[in-house]
Amino acid sequence: MTTVLTTLLSHYRRHPGQLVMLLLGLWVASALWSGIQAINATARDSYARADALFATELDQLERRDGATLSRDEYHALRQAGLPVSPLLEGNVVTQDGTRLTLIGIDPLTLPSENALGQAGTSSSLTAFLTPPWQTRVAPDALTALGLERGNAPGATPTLAEGGKLPPLTLSPALPPNTLIMDIAAAARLLASGEAITRLVAAPGALTTAPPDYTLTRATSLASPGQLTESFHLNLTALGLLALVVGLFIVQAALGLALEQRLGMLRTLRVLGVSGRTLVAALSLELLLLGVIGGLTGIASGVWLARWLLPDVAATLGSLYGADVGQTLSLPWQYWMGGLAVSLGGLLLAGSGVLWRAARLNVLSLGQMQAWRSGFRRQLTLMSIAGGLAAAIGLGLTLWLAQQPPGDGLLAGFGVVAALLLASALWLPPLMALTLKGLTHLARRRPLTQWALADMQLQLPRLSLAMMALLVALATNLGVGSMVGGFRVTFLDWLDQRLVAPLYINAPADQYDAIDTWLADRPEVSERLLTRRSETTLLAIDTPDESRSLSLAIDLYGITPGESLTPHWPLLNTLDDRPSAWAAFDNGAVFVNEQLATAENLSPGDRLTLRAPNGNETLTITAVYPDYGNPSGQVLMASHQLAARFEAPPSSMGLVLHENANVEALRNALTTRFGLSNDAISDQREIKRIATEIFERTFTITRALNVLTLAVASLALLASLLAQARSRRQQLAPLWALGVPRAQLARLNLAQLGGAALATGLLAIPLGIAITWGLVAVINVAAFGWRLPLHLFPGEMAVTLATAVGVALLAAALPALRFWRASPRALLAEETHQ
Amino acid sequence: MLEFDQVHKTYATPQGPIRVLKDVTLRLAPGQSLALMGESGSGKSTLLHLAAGLDLPDQGTITLAGEGLAALAEPARAKLRREQLGLVFQQFHLVPSLTVIDNLRLQARLARRDDTAWTAHLLERLGLHGLEKRYPEQLSGGQQQRLAIGRALAPRPALLLADEPTGNLDETTASHVLELLLSLVHETQCALLVVTHSPQVAAPLDRCLRLSHGSLLDATP
Ligand SMILES: Nc1ncnc2c1ncn2[C@@H]1O[C@H](COP(=O)(O)OP(=O)(O)O)[C@@H](O)[C@H]1O
Ligand SMILES: [Mg+2]
Repeated sequence: MTTVLTTLLSHYRRHPGQLVMLLLGLWVASALWSGIQAINATARDSYARADALFATELDQLERRDGATLSRDEYHALRQAGLPVSPLLEGNVVTQDGTRLTLIGIDPLTLPSENALGQAGTSSSLTAFLTPPWQTRVAPDALTALGLERGNAPGATPTLAEGGKLPPLTLSPALPPNTLIMDIAAAARLLASGEAITRLVAAPGALTTAPPDYTLTRATSLASPGQLTESFHLNLTALGLLALVVGLFIVQAALGLALEQRLGMLRTLRVLGVSGRTLVAALSLELLLLGVIGGLTGIASGVWLARWLLPDVAATLGSLYGADVGQTLSLPWQYWMGGLAVSLGGLLLAGSGVLWRAARLNVLSLGQMQAWRSGFRRQLTLMSIAGGLAAAIGLGLTLWLAQQPPGDGLLAGFGVVAALLLASALWLPPLMALTLKGLTHLARRRPLTQWALADMQLQLPRLSLAMMALLVALATNLGVGSMVGGFRVTFLDWLDQRLVAPLYINAPADQYDAIDTWLADRPEVSERLLTRRSETTLLAIDTPDESRSLSLAIDLYGITPGESLTPHWPLLNTLDDRPSAWAAFDNGAVFVNEQLATAENLSPGDRLTLRAPNGNETLTITAVYPDYGNPSGQVLMASHQLAARFEAPPSSMGLVLHENANVEALRNALTTRFGLSNDAISDQREIKRIATEIFERTFTITRALNVLTLAVASLALLASLLAQARSRRQQLAPLWALGVPRAQLARLNLAQLGGAALATGLLAIPLGIAITWGLVAVINVAAFGWRLPLHLFPGEMAVTLATAVGVALLAAALPALRFWRASPRALLAEETHQ
Repeated sequence: MLEFDQVHKTYATPQGPIRVLKDVTLRLAPGQSLALMGESGSGKSTLLHLAAGLDLPDQGTITLAGEGLAALAEPARAKLRREQLGLVFQQFHLVPSLTVIDNLRLQARLARRDDTAWTAHLLERLGLHGLEKRYPEQLSGGQQQRLAIGRALAPRPALLLADEPTGNLDETTASHVLELLLSLVHETQCALLVVTHSPQVAAPLDRCLRLSHGSLLDATP
């Protein structure tokens, strides 16, 4: 067995390129896959910890008018016998600039089954409740505090603004970037005086909200895990794609390595190695390669995840408000799973090779012709399998068309996958057919005919690399157009919504005074006050049905001023835009696309919303796009929102006359009302921040996309280089027959460049189809909004050029060696064929 | 050593069955040498493949080293081949990724009969001394065939089967290689069945058979 194995492996000593290609494929596949799984596992761990805390396990009580709660109000409610507990939330900034969430609790009144209520022994409860107090913190927040795990317990780090945290105790169950301490200690650190952020109660402990309060039930709060599911599904799909592309490479490399060892296999069989032993040795070889490639892949995957995690965390934070830790947290299942996937994938990629090796007849082993004749059958099988995949894709598309929009995330991915698979499988038969036709056409031009016939001979070895290239190119184009399209749409949308050059963010009770003062300023032409509140959607009336539900939604009030209404983006309206806005001013509402998609709403439907003074039933007159918002939102005129829902003001946009002195107005406002520095922001700043968030959102998509394309290019390069030697053997006789070397080199370039170009051209319509699947199906199901289809010819040209460039490079290296080889060496190669 | 008893072999082809061997009976005692002659396509290689257990007859029995081949499973036939047989072909079938010395020792290692002194002696006798670290493609045709012969004899087989071992070599090289083959066979005292076209090859051997239209005739001069 050892002799057989070393003999088999000796092949790689003489063809290290093939070994590199094999390991590269495995490494890449398992690196990308396990990197993404590492990110998912870490995020899941963070969600679990956040879930275990307050947000989803406690009912919450807030003031209806949005004003801050005070300790007196808390005492009043307690005296009235309500089992509420106070919570103070704020942010502190560490010395390295990281913002941490600080939560002050009262452990004595906090419902005891909550993760935080378990203060432990009475001595630790005393330590928690009395000076110098305690800070509970998860170990992954320690880096931000400049501490090591070892010296953390008992440390009292100093914050950016000079305050000192109470002595730390480690509590791994806490969410990342969160500090927990007694409410008194928190109030001191935050200098928040008597204020309380919210009151919480055990689920169901309060039957109704006290007057002037809104009660949000724990069950109506979506947990971050649910919200972000689609995001992680997206990531997983990209990871799966990378895995598949990597395995394509592995399969190509294995096939090549086996094909070149057929002679060796036959010799071994003749020398008395049984077929079974041979298959066992080949399997052992696979296992060995799998363990090496898989382990290095997982190690790099963890590194990749560490590199991408900050961006993913930022994305999840800005898109879903979910807090994800910055340190990887990987359970043992992760490591085992990663290795299992690499080995399983390898086995899948290698099973064909093993099967063929086991079935080969001793006497015909090593006969190229027998090997090749299988290719025609393989082409037929590929066409059939491709047809099957296409049928599945078509079926899923038809099924999706029957579904309400927003459903079928998995089916959406299914359509895209089926499309990719069908195209990849059809590529080799299509190429074979085209080549055959072209060979026939070129029968009067012997050299061209030879080149085409030669391509047909190369096809079995090339087809896998071409398929991988097609898949990678199409995905790259598809995802690229999706991201690019989103960017264009998003920036337009920002422009349309941000019509005012200045925005004020002041405490809610100051807006009246600010408004009165601004009314007299000549440079201000319009004041666009916004209000915000939350409520529950109770019922929906459409022409077909009435249904009741209980859905937490956001309320947003805007002032439909002259400068706002012409630009505010609307997707569809009941009548025309002017009448929609007129109705809006009179109390009709608009809903965002997310809500319309989720609840299948259209203009003309009526919504019943819980309001302080009885329920309000309002008509929808338009649907508007609301990119990046995870929740459903109902939009109405600010004054209507104030009248019907007692919503507090949240910001004010100022439209100014031309030549207005913006700086003077800004200064005047700040001094007149004692506003903080960041209370007034100009439009450009807001756009910059929004764009920054957007860019971070797609960093990971872009990174994975580029990696996948790079891998596919490498695969093509490697598989072309791997057969460079046999290429020279093919070319030498032609050269001996009197064809100039320059012409042979040119032919070679044309062959591979042409094949890559054909693949690239096929990838373009496929890429567009994928973009469509992403923006029209998957995006709607995942985020609730649809994007217009944007195409970027420039980007497509670059992708196409990359493919052709790689192929030309791969063809040029052997051609160059051919060019420089001595005639004797060429003929020697020929005789050793 | 080797016995064919009323062996028939037919190949099925798209153009209909070809009856290659008809009722072939043959006996080769240990240490005996035999030349097999016949026109191209007469079935000499087929007979050799059957003898090596690489293929099975349609009818009749073949016994090698006392074992009926048809009764053995493939792994057992492989074991028999590994331990009892040496095979030399017209195309040398060396392993291109192994060095000369590793190729030479390959079968001996597989049969667990690697004998350093014997291999060193073989290397000397084959005239490959000093070329141990080369790869097969860096050898001449004659050297490659000598290496293939050495590989077959390294485990000291009981029977050497050679299929036109000099068919790919020029005349002078061929006679050198053949001389070497015969003297090594003599030295190892193994039985020999060699397929050849050349009467010179057949002359010094114990017996000579001719295959014609699927039947064996004695052609010992
Ligand atoms: N695998 C096979 N399938 C069909 N016919 C075969 C096969 N192998 C050999 N033959 C045929 O059997 C006959 C004998 O072949 P072979 O034993 O190789 O002859 P020789 O070695 O004497 O030249 C030839 O006609 C050949 O075409
Ligand atoms: Mg023959």
